Amino acid sequence: MSPASGKRGVAVYWLTAAAIILAVTAWTYFRAVEPEPWTDAEVEVLRSLWIGSLPSLPADPTNAVADDPLAAELGYQLFFDPRLSGTGAISCSTCHQPERRFTDGLPKGQAIGTSKRNTRSIVGVAYSPWLYWDGRRDSLWSQALSPLEDPAEHGGNRKQYVEFIASEPSYSAMYESIFGEFPELADSDAINRVFANIGRVIAAYERLLLPGPSRFDVYVAAVIAGDSELQAATFSVDEAMGLQLFIDQAACTQCHNGPLFTNHEFHNTAVLSFPGEVPDKGRVAGVREVMADPFNCLGTYSDDASKNCAELEFVRTGPELIGAVRTPSLRNLESTGPFMHKGQLKSLAEVLRHYNEAPRAMIGHNEAKPLGLRSRELRQIEAFLNTLAAPLATPPKWLAPPAISVATSGHE
Amino acid sequence: MLPALRLVLICLVLVGQGAQAHGGVVEEEDLCVIKVNYLRGHFKIYQPLVDGHQEYCEDLPNATESVFVMEYLHAAFSEAAVDFRIIRDVTGKGRFARWEDVAAIEDLDKATVFYREATVEPDVFTVIHDFAEEGDYIGIVTANVDGDEKIYRAVFPFEVGFTGLGYWPFFVALLLIIQVQYLIMSGRLARWRQARKVRKANSGVVPLLLVLFFPTLWIQDAAGEHGNEWVSERGVYHVSFDSSLEPIEINKIHSWVLHITAEGEPVNGATISVVGGMPAHDHGLPTKPRITEELGQGDYRLGGMRFHMNGDWEVSIEIAANGKTDTVVIALRL
Repeated sequence: MSPASGKRGVAVYWLTAAAIILAVTAWTYFRAVEPEPWTDAEVEVLRSLWIGSLPSLPADPTNAVADDPLAAELGYQLFFDPRLSGTGAISCSTCHQPERRFTDGLPKGQAIGTSKRNTRSIVGVAYSPWLYWDGRRDSLWSQALSPLEDPAEHGGNRKQYVEFIASEPSYSAMYESIFGEFPELADSDAINRVFANIGRVIAAYERLLLPGPSRFDVYVAAVIAGDSELQAATFSVDEAMGLQLFIDQAACTQCHNGPLFTNHEFHNTAVLSFPGEVPDKGRVAGVREVMADPFNCLGTYSDDASKNCAELEFVRTGPELIGAVRTPSLRNLESTGPFMHKGQLKSLAEVLRHYNEAPRAMIGHNEAKPLGLRSRELRQIEAFLNTLAAPLATPPKWLAPPAISVATSGHE
Repeated sequence: MLPALRLVLICLVLVGQGAQAHGGVVEEEDLCVIKVNYLRGHFKIYQPLVDGHQEYCEDLPNATESVFVMEYLHAAFSEAAVDFRIIRDVTGKGRFARWEDVAAIEDLDKATVFYREATVEPDVFTVIHDFAEEGDYIGIVTANVDGDEKIYRAVFPFEVGFTGLGYWPFFVALLLIIQVQYLIMSGRLARWRQARKVRKANSGVVPLLLVLFFPTLWIQDAAGEHGNEWVSERGVYHVSFDSSLEPIEINKIHSWVLHITAEGEPVNGATISVVGGMPAHDHGLPTKPRITEELGQGDYRLGGMRFHMNGDWEVSIEIAANGKTDTVVIALRL
């Protein structure tokens, strides 16, 4: 070959390479297509996600004071009271901070020590049949008891708490108007009953923490009404495209379904283990724990005399629940990161990249399949997820520490 | 020069792959398997801090935090007390170290870098160890089933900080680039494209594909419509059901009443078991439903039904009555 044609060959080679790289980059980053109008089936999916489809709170027959306003008031005061701890410094609100949608912005909760997992938001939690990432409790009130005695969290014990309620005049007065006369603390059974009631009033408060309508809900209302002008004014093109990807191609609604964007179920999605730890066994271990919990629905401290405990009675376990954790709600994602059960992923972008790749699970089996979406599409889904941010539907009175608790701690 | 390079490359790749599989851990059809006597487990090691989800079978590239996972392929494993020990290879046998060599070590504790005492882990076995230095190690897994005298062992020598594969992908990519550049520069690519243009003139691939596809589409369409009655696989039972939740919604626990007939007569006293799931997602029902009450007249209350996703579900009901067992599969789209 002559030197001249050799040079041209090199030029063509590099030009082709550059063109390929450019084309690939463009394909990943841009998507020119406008969102398609919603089909009838899609409108039905949107309606199912809409906050207007949220049913009223499910009754909790195991908690007779679940909807008692006085119980909620006492629960509210206890929720913010650091005297409900071994050190006098930790309250529920240490980790469940109202200004962060009741999370703490940390990978794992920090109280007396470090908690096992990421602090979940408790907004709308009263809708879930299972509590915790691994579902190791089956009611809001039995859940509320567990951190109180966890050495890494509140680090106290039930006897101490029960005696505290008895000795604090304002609390014991409220307690007696709710549950009747304060019992003789003769044996562990009497202590357990009062302890369970502490959980019950905290649960009554937590039942008030409900998500409010977001920009997404305004958009869905516009879709249902067929108001395309309002749709366009509410969502950007990227947000609408993101929503479409969310319900169609990315199939997020397989787990993040219903108006709370969760099926309250357990899934293994192959999140990497936390540094320094073996992979979390998740639900398989949680099932054993909830079955053994003396405060569960079938236990003697439940208020449901008929023991109508379908979820517990028909509970399922098996190898497919190895490494499975409970689907979190996607409402109010703002300021709730880092994400996943041990806060392994810092941002929504990282979460979406994880689902896009769907790697093989370290233990068990990853239920998710790789999505094969492009960067631009992932960013559109993220844009959509941010439209779920909204102020809570809960009156502001319940979202700040009560004045009384501030005054008391000022004395000490 | 290039043909020579290629030969070297091929030889290196072959040598690199041959060195796997020794001791109690072997690669079987893409699966790394540990054999502790008759107990078998899917064995894998991760170095999540450096390599994310990358799985290793035994040799590890880095001296770092390593997670050892054993997924049981034999049910007895989940009841066995399993202990796990890692020692520095002081046997001098390297890859060929066996239990006899380990047993001959005078001070096993001195050589041990990690030990976890016998524990029953019912679901999956996991331990974590942070390797302080590179070198040759031996892993020893011991299993004791049912607390009997017998102790089963697997011994697997492995290397930490091995360089065997570390730079391989990089090296291969480099050689490929050189090769492609050579093809372009030498004009072979141009000649190949010339030849392809000629071939392209007579292709009939697209119509052929269409013909292949058409019957599949047609079959999918035909498998629709069902009344509210299902016939069991061998035709023994007819089953219909009423749901306490109508229409059936996701995420709500509810019950069904099954109506079972055989040859038009209600079937009483049947033993019924129910499983279900979404075939497309390899998972089962979120609950474990079962018959809670026989109502008579061939009616049975099936409690604990809940579905947690929209999509195609299958509920499989096995019915045994009067010595006849048959299964009905109810397909539901939610």
